[in-house]
Amino acid sequence: MNTLPLLLYAAAGVAYAIHFARRDSAVGRAATTLLLFGALVHTFVIGMQTMEVRHLPFANFSRAVSSFVWLLTLSYLYLELTTDERSMGVFILPVIIGLQLIPVLHPGVERADPVLDSPWFWVHVSSLLFAYASFALAGVLGVTYMLQFKEIKKKHLGYFYTRLPSLQILDIMNSRAVTVGLVFLTFGVIVGVVWTAQARTIAPDDPNLRAMSIYDPKIFVALLTWGVYSFAVFARRTLGWTGRRAAWLSSLGFAFAMVNFLAINYFVTTSHTFY
Amino acid sequence: MHLFLLGVSHRTAPVDLRERLDFSSRDLTAAAGAIAAKPSMSEAVVLSTCNRSELYVATTDPACAREELVSFISEYHHVSAPTFQPHLFALENSAAVAHLFRVAAGLDSLVVGEPQILGQVKDAYQTSASNRCVGPVLSNVFRWSFGVGKRVRTETALGEGAVSVSYAAVALARKIFGRLTGRRVLVVGAGEISSLTAQHLRAHGVGEIVITSRTHAHADELATVVGGLAVPWDAMTNALGAADIVITATGSQRPIISRAQLEAAQGHRRGSALFIIDIAVPRDVDPSVGEIEQVFLYNIDDLQATVRENLARRASYVGALMAWTPRRIDASVPVRIVETEDGSRRGFGRAWGGVASDFEVVRLEGGHTRLILDHGDEVAAALRRWLGGAFEAAPNEKTET
Repeated sequence: MNTLPLLLYAAAGVAYAIHFARRDSAVGRAATTLLLFGALVHTFVIGMQTMEVRHLPFANFSRAVSSFVWLLTLSYLYLELTTDERSMGVFILPVIIGLQLIPVLHPGVERADPVLDSPWFWVHVSSLLFAYASFALAGVLGVTYMLQFKEIKKKHLGYFYTRLPSLQILDIMNSRAVTVGLVFLTFGVIVGVVWTAQARTIAPDDPNLRAMSIYDPKIFVALLTWGVYSFAVFARRTLGWTGRRAAWLSSLGFAFAMVNFLAINYFVTTSHTFY
Repeated sequence: MHLFLLGVSHRTAPVDLRERLDFSSRDLTAAAGAIAAKPSMSEAVVLSTCNRSELYVATTDPACAREELVSFISEYHHVSAPTFQPHLFALENSAAVAHLFRVAAGLDSLVVGEPQILGQVKDAYQTSASNRCVGPVLSNVFRWSFGVGKRVRTETALGEGAVSVSYAAVALARKIFGRLTGRRVLVVGAGEISSLTAQHLRAHGVGEIVITSRTHAHADELATVVGGLAVPWDAMTNALGAADIVITATGSQRPIISRAQLEAAQGHRRGSALFIIDIAVPRDVDPSVGEIEQVFLYNIDDLQATVRENLARRASYVGALMAWTPRRIDASVPVRIVETEDGSRRGFGRAWGGVASDFEVVRLEGGHTRLILDHGDEVAAALRRWLGGAFEAAPNEKTET
């Protein structure tokens, strides 16, 4: 069911790449249209799964990834349509396509667990997925900022210089994405703590709930990620860490977030392993 | 009726000859009027810039028109015909239309892709039009060329990349700051390039322009020109802390802005970017300033290098654009059917890159119109697409009346 969105995303990715290389606005519009269609079909897929399990589908890892891709696509489309700036597409689409491969290759089954059947849990996961989507955008903006910064600083005004928006715009968009992401990350973590406390009273013997502490790898890396982004926001305000430093921090933060979201879910059994 | 073009350009004539054949410094209207009044010619547009003097006319007899134009040029400019005749180039009909398109698109300019030429073509046409020196042939061809020029400008990369030092500086500033609205500029030392750059920046909406110079009168003078504020020389360090863009152009033999001085100023800037354009020789800004985070330092050589790169890039586009443009132009510019004074109807279609064509239009019974073409099927197909069923194209058929 996730294949059709993947194909549309892949087609959009190719179109964004051609648009970036040739700067052909007609191809650019085609890319946006393909991505919009992809998002629409993906919305339908998520909607079907939501009706099936009666909540957003993310208690299973690969469905969570699919939901994350969906949120990321919507966030990117929002960014593109509000700024009328398509050049980020070629950087964000590989992330979207790569992650969407996971639900296509490993569909997985949604776990129905009474412990997870709490609004707190769904708010917790949605907030974190949305925070990760914002961080993904910020990370990509950071990478493009550094690429262009290097060209201008070294006085080789080349490939990226002629294609990317100005440094100032990239920096402002990066700052906003980091702030939005941090707000949702903070909110998501707090909700998670509240939910754990509640769930423990309902299911005191659940091994996952018992294992939840700061020493759990997933929670530990989540807090590290929170630390990186909080420092990024703090440093921008007080130390004047804008521009390249901010870009670097947001790329680092995104690396942490992805380690947490993908690698730890895949290779390490933690208190957050629910399947 | 034929379209005929006779002229000199930077490709055919040296600058001293172009200067002697320049129409723009004299009364263009009178020149166009005098040409249009000649017996063999009915319409005339004089396009005269520092790189070209071109006479576009509608004539019944191109050979005769050529002779009359040569003698006209000779009389008008008091230059003997043998002096300039070897430098003249002449084009007819479709070739002349194709040339006009290239000129309007900036493909034939000395600085390829420069934007002024389209305005100059429009002005030349307007001058003739307001003097009633243009008729159906020239008005159609010229108005068509405006569209071509505009499309090449807006839809291709030909005009991209600054090709003068002052524009290169502005382009960089825009790449660093985005919109320049409200940005603060400091000009240190008044000179020609710093004045030009400040004016370009002003045109892009910068906020305050502060000017300082060792000779206060120079600063005052430039302040009046660009609408800025002149401040005393010793206020420079303060102004440095507040500026987003700094232009330095003093005659000083040693650097006037040191790294330490800027690092002190950067402390108050909270990480906002600073773009320094050092156009002085010898340099006014210590090169190590460029190592400071968020400081972008460009000297005159750096800017000239980007200008050279841009020029080379533009030149590399020309060949591709010549081949690429017909497809694109076709899609938007329909064939122009022109009713000429002698009662015949002529059309100009696809006048670009070798497939140019002009043709007779003959109205047939039953409201059909037959186009008599002297070119291949490709043109006919394009025409059929444009004109739909009401027209019937007959390629390679000779005139029938």
